[in-house]
Amino acid sequence: MKRPPIAAVALGLLAALASLIPIGYLLLRLFEGFEAALAELARARTLELLLNTIGLTVSVSLTALAIGAVQAWLTVRTNLPLAPVFAVLATLPLAIPSYVLALGYLSVFPSFSGFWAAWFTLSLATSPYVFLALSAALISSNFAAEEVARSLGKNRWQVIQSVTWPQVRPAAFASVLLVALYTLSEFGAIAILRFDTFTRAIYNAYRGSFDRTSAAALALVLVALTLVVIYFERRYRGDRWQAPTAAGRKRRIDLGRARILAAFGLGIIGLFGAGVPLVSLIGWSVNQTGFDLLRLGELVASSLAVAIAAGVVIGIFALAISVWNLRYSSRLSGAVDLTAWAAHALPAVVVALALVYFGANLVPGIYQSIWLLLLGYLILFLPNALGLVGTPIALVPRSIEEVARSQGLSKNAALTKVVLPIALPGILAGVALASLTVLKELPATLLLRPNELDTLATELWQATEVLAYSQAAPYALALIIIAGVPALALNAQARKLISEVS
Amino acid sequence: MKLRGALVLTLLPILLLSGCSAEDNALLVYSGRSEALLGPLVEKFEQESGLDVEVRYAGSAELAAQLLEEGENSPADVFLAQDAGALGAAAKAGLLTGIPDEIYSLVPSGYSAADQSWVGVSGRARVLVYDPGKVSELPVSIFDLEDASWQGRIGIAPTNASFQAFVTAMRILNGDARTLAWLEAMKVNAVIYEKNGAILEAVEAGQLDAGLINHYYWYARAKDVGQAQMNSRLAQFQAADAGNLVNVAGVGILNSTDAAEQFVSFLLSETGQQYFAQETREYPLVEGISPADELTPLADIPTPAIDLSDLDTLAETLELIRQAGLI
Repeated sequence: MKRPPIAAVALGLLAALASLIPIGYLLLRLFEGFEAALAELARARTLELLLNTIGLTVSVSLTALAIGAVQAWLTVRTNLPLAPVFAVLATLPLAIPSYVLALGYLSVFPSFSGFWAAWFTLSLATSPYVFLALSAALISSNFAAEEVARSLGKNRWQVIQSVTWPQVRPAAFASVLLVALYTLSEFGAIAILRFDTFTRAIYNAYRGSFDRTSAAALALVLVALTLVVIYFERRYRGDRWQAPTAAGRKRRIDLGRARILAAFGLGIIGLFGAGVPLVSLIGWSVNQTGFDLLRLGELVASSLAVAIAAGVVIGIFALAISVWNLRYSSRLSGAVDLTAWAAHALPAVVVALALVYFGANLVPGIYQSIWLLLLGYLILFLPNALGLVGTPIALVPRSIEEVARSQGLSKNAALTKVVLPIALPGILAGVALASLTVLKELPATLLLRPNELDTLATELWQATEVLAYSQAAPYALALIIIAGVPALALNAQARKLISEVS
Repeated sequence: MKLRGALVLTLLPILLLSGCSAEDNALLVYSGRSEALLGPLVEKFEQESGLDVEVRYAGSAELAAQLLEEGENSPADVFLAQDAGALGAAAKAGLLTGIPDEIYSLVPSGYSAADQSWVGVSGRARVLVYDPGKVSELPVSIFDLEDASWQGRIGIAPTNASFQAFVTAMRILNGDARTLAWLEAMKVNAVIYEKNGAILEAVEAGQLDAGLINHYYWYARAKDVGQAQMNSRLAQFQAADAGNLVNVAGVGILNSTDAAEQFVSFLLSETGQQYFAQETREYPLVEGISPADELTPLADIPTPAIDLSDLDTLAETLELIRQAGLI
């Protein structure tokens, strides 16, 4: 058994310990009031919340999978007109915070609320995760096998089912896992659209009655749900790391007349995911008078600084865990990976309050400093980067590393000089995705930020708190434009890959 | 080389950001009132007192939750909250050290915590807004609105925090069962709105006969269009029930220093009281300071007898409102 690099192990263990903070905190609260917690869980209401939550999570996951898969397949594998435009449209919702998406719809359709509204909004908000993962996977999948299957008389749908799907299934499952956990932990949009899930009940327990025991009991149910979801993902995703077969000629599928129809369909989805919210935001801005450009500049600078710092920190930890778990896999590395995921469905408020407790009472030196905020972001968003960073690292053939070693490079040098450069695009993509999520994050930022550090998201919150949509609009637009940069960087990668297929 | 560049790129923002924490200020205030509202007043206080004040802005409930987690080790000196429930939660956890007598006595009892743990700063009254052309006989009690004659005529905003605080008061005064019955009657009688402002607009436009709102919405509009142009009128429920709840924004001390007491005194000074009255059109609470508008004097409002600290059970209220099918 090869020994993993010390740095990777140290960083991995540190990240796992960090992720255990919120879970440890919840257990502490649970045991403080065990009977009250049991009573909370035994209520009929809990079952209703459970069904609501599961219903929403399953339906959003399936819808996001369908939307993302269709977008990816059409833009990567067919002769769809304007494919790059549709690829950008497919990524764009990633730049829009889901609460802004919900507010955008609510301001156009005042009765937009309940299950269908939540399903609609979250499906649009999360489909880019699937799109990004699947477009990358579709490009590296084996085109030749598909053509062979076609020539053996299978129809197009049968080929997708029996040849294409098994190849992209691991990527699809990994991205659907992100979507499912996102839905489990989502609060902003759910609250605006008034649909009751566990997360909303947890927020109400904290904010409405300052009842930390019930909140902890409900949050631990979410952790249990997360573990179930992860179990199914690991169980059914199939072998994660098939080395891609170098395919010969990569030909796009001719859709014939259906290509216009396909373009129309993707256009509609793009309109819903990005068009309507942007138009309603710009509508708010029109009513805007007297606006402080200097203040906006400051906010953009502080938001960027926080997001970049957090993105790089998360990227470093994701890299360490991926290298350890994928190239020197052991039971311990698997446990570290699982721990990093386990806290991912916890609502941000739970993670943030756990860190408030931890920071104020155990490490007051970093309380209300940037360090505790970064730790919060690490716990919340490490899994977002893990998928993107992990895939390319797993795909670097071991033979290349072995050749490098045989040329006299040390183990670590082989890793940094050979494996990492090949995996660099994936690592940068992980950093970009993490930065983008940090930019949009609100509840943990409010609770953990240093005093008097304002970001675009907190300013947007201040403005919507006094219900001045017109004041909120410029901040929301600035946020979307900035978040659009990493979103487009992610997209540029996908598009570069698309242009390789021709 | 690339790696080094990336490292610098990361460390730079962290260094810049770590510069903005851990200043040694005389006073740390947690504020549930917005920066737009409180900011200018804090500046004025800094000029007058010569003290450096640092303020942490967030929602009142979030800050209360934060204080509960911080416990004894909270760095905060003062907690200024938008509503009484959040202060009540901090008080019940034993985090507030109490308001000195000479400050506490400035505000009439009933608008501060009964146990002197916090003091009210400004007040907002629940009122009935009505169209005098359509409502000839005013309801005496909030429970009169259950009558079938009110069907389709009364507007409420169940998602609004002030409405929810009023329902919490009803739960405290009349019990959960009675409150649920009232909410269920509202499910039949009431027209649902998103916001207080929309209710007022509907009554003004003659689309709705009456509605339950906070007093300052009416006065803010009256200031815009001129009081003579207002079609609607305000009324209180003479039965002195939850329908007349006067909720307050208030302040508590976590770390009783001279600076903290100075700040609280400043909020209750003529300057502080006039500022809130002008900016929010809320009631000043200190006796002898008159409101910004021709408000019904606070003393003339038949307010229910309630300890505002007990308004800290919002989750149970939300559940009743949901059970009645209003949200």
